[in-house]
Amino acid sequence: MGGQSSSADTPLWSVVELDQFHTPEQTQASQWRRSLRSISSWLGGKDDTEQQVKNESELRKLPEVRLAHLVPPIDWAPAARALTQQLESLQAPVTFFITTPYSGHDAVVTHWAEKQSVACLPPPTLSELAEGGTQWVERCTHHRQWAVPALQRYFLRHTQGIQGIREFLERALSGRLGQGVIGCDSWTYAYLQQVIGIDGAPVYTLQSMEGEQLARYFAEIATHGGQPPPVYSTRTGKQVLADSTAKRDKNEKHPNQELQRLAAHCRGHIGIAWHYWRERLREPTAGDKEALWMFDAHAEAELSTNTGDKATLVLHALLIHGGLDDHSLGKVLPFSHHEALNARLALQRKGIISSYEGRWQVAPLSHASVRQLLQSRNYLVDPL
Amino acid sequence: MEEQSKYARLFNEIDSQALITLGVVLVGTIVLIIVSQRGLNWLATRLHGQLRFRVFALVPLTRLLILITALAIIVPIIIEPSLSNMVTLLGALGLAIGFAMKDYVSSLIAGVVSATELPYRPGDWVQIEDTYGEVKHVGLRTVDIQTPDDDMVYVPHLKLWDHAVYNANNGGTSLQCVASFYLHPEHEAGWVRKALRDVALTSAYLKFDQPVIVVAEEKPWGTHYRIRAYPVDPRQQFLFITDLTVRGKALLSAAGVPSAMLQPDAALDANKEAGASYSRNNDY
Repeated sequence: MGGQSSSADTPLWSVVELDQFHTPEQTQASQWRRSLRSISSWLGGKDDTEQQVKNESELRKLPEVRLAHLVPPIDWAPAARALTQQLESLQAPVTFFITTPYSGHDAVVTHWAEKQSVACLPPPTLSELAEGGTQWVERCTHHRQWAVPALQRYFLRHTQGIQGIREFLERALSGRLGQGVIGCDSWTYAYLQQVIGIDGAPVYTLQSMEGEQLARYFAEIATHGGQPPPVYSTRTGKQVLADSTAKRDKNEKHPNQELQRLAAHCRGHIGIAWHYWRERLREPTAGDKEALWMFDAHAEAELSTNTGDKATLVLHALLIHGGLDDHSLGKVLPFSHHEALNARLALQRKGIISSYEGRWQVAPLSHASVRQLLQSRNYLVDPL
Repeated sequence: MEEQSKYARLFNEIDSQALITLGVVLVGTIVLIIVSQRGLNWLATRLHGQLRFRVFALVPLTRLLILITALAIIVPIIIEPSLSNMVTLLGALGLAIGFAMKDYVSSLIAGVVSATELPYRPGDWVQIEDTYGEVKHVGLRTVDIQTPDDDMVYVPHLKLWDHAVYNANNGGTSLQCVASFYLHPEHEAGWVRKALRDVALTSAYLKFDQPVIVVAEEKPWGTHYRIRAYPVDPRQQFLFITDLTVRGKALLSAAGVPSAMLQPDAALDANKEAGASYSRNNDY
């Protein structure tokens, strides 16, 4: 993984086959840093936050209005166009488009479907999933072309909850439902690949972004074509959004070192990096208000190494389902609703999970550490 | 007179400096062993996955290395390390061991063998004779096994010489669990097989990089189904088997698949099979 050269010419939005996906440079180093920080925090009982050139007390969060102007929601239309290009020559009955949580597979597929005037299939209701009924699959048979923006809403991890999606995918993969594009969370994809077996279908994903691409993207959304505001790192005091017109030192491998660290930390996923960027931007309490600061990108809500089994099982269930409400969470865990609720509340208090679109999900700023914890404990993790 | 001086030369003259050195080495050895054993155990219990087992495996090896080093320092201080002296010393030791402390020393030697051959390490789930449980500590003379009933059983290492050691995970994280279902002969076997496989595939504890197999065996009283699968962590084995059993029973019951009514002798047969199994199951 990694080791790919980054360049200013690389397009921001690139849809690639799953086996061509690579994590950004320094991803492994970022994982080691996270492990080291976790161990030192565990031994010392406090966070080993790196030395800062600018204190947090001298900074404050940006007002919502300014934040909305500098970091507007991600426009997934370019990603949808890149997906359209990939799908043009494809004749497979089903094509998967997968991304990590918050990285836009549902928005991209919805956008694609709108542009192509293709119907989006409605997900089954919770009672249909709980009873193991397959009637909802019959409702999907009347389209020549169709799209499923979020496959994670089509199953529950219990014996009844996988019957419908198995029937649906069997029909879809055999071509009996016509031609379709399925948007899917990468964790759901990993699970369904094991449980149902969906190896034959082509799978696409968004290519990871390197630090330089992140810098370009954040500068673009902040300026809308003009000059980006000066943003400095509280760790190094250097500019984060380097001026693209400025002369660059040829020996400097990563001119956007801070954003390369961020890209490595987020495994190159733009959706998660966007949340970090939005959460960490600060303005000084006094002095030049135009200059912005990027607060230490890695001081996030992290899991301790001694996280219990119940919390781990809750986190894994939430990731596999792309988020769940309390009622559904109780159905997919091997302990009582009461215990599941307690475990969920504890995680919520620590800021590890948050409510997003009515479901409890692993918070974007915790995704990296949760993934690393689950991987270290041999749980099934996503391919991204 | 000559004989007397020969024996006198067996041991070195122990002066105060030698005594201090011996004392320092002994105290140092004890402290090092305690610190390394507790430290490594403390660290390993807080780790997960393969790393946990690697650190656990270091516990007896570290102690063995410390002891060998200490002996290598102590012996030349006490004894003149010549061939005749060593033969005399080993002969005397052999005599004492042969008569008085045969089993004790046999356990110590087996302990050294266990530290190098690694038939069990802390963190392994083993069965030695009728004792099944997690290896908590590999001592000099005994291996400490914590049973699922929370009893601590101290099994002397000398069992290694003439008893089989069943190691369920062998220093790794993969431990096969078996959940058994005894069904009445009148049922749709193909459906049951698929349903039980789904039960395993939807368990929160399932480890996905190992196979899930449903085995069916026809018996005079009905059909015996076994789900063979692996939990994410060996310590979750009983929770995993319980989860499979509870959800499997609920599914079969909802589908109207009746349980087998076992005859007492058939039940005994099943227990015998379970006893012979290396892997963990819900038959006991």
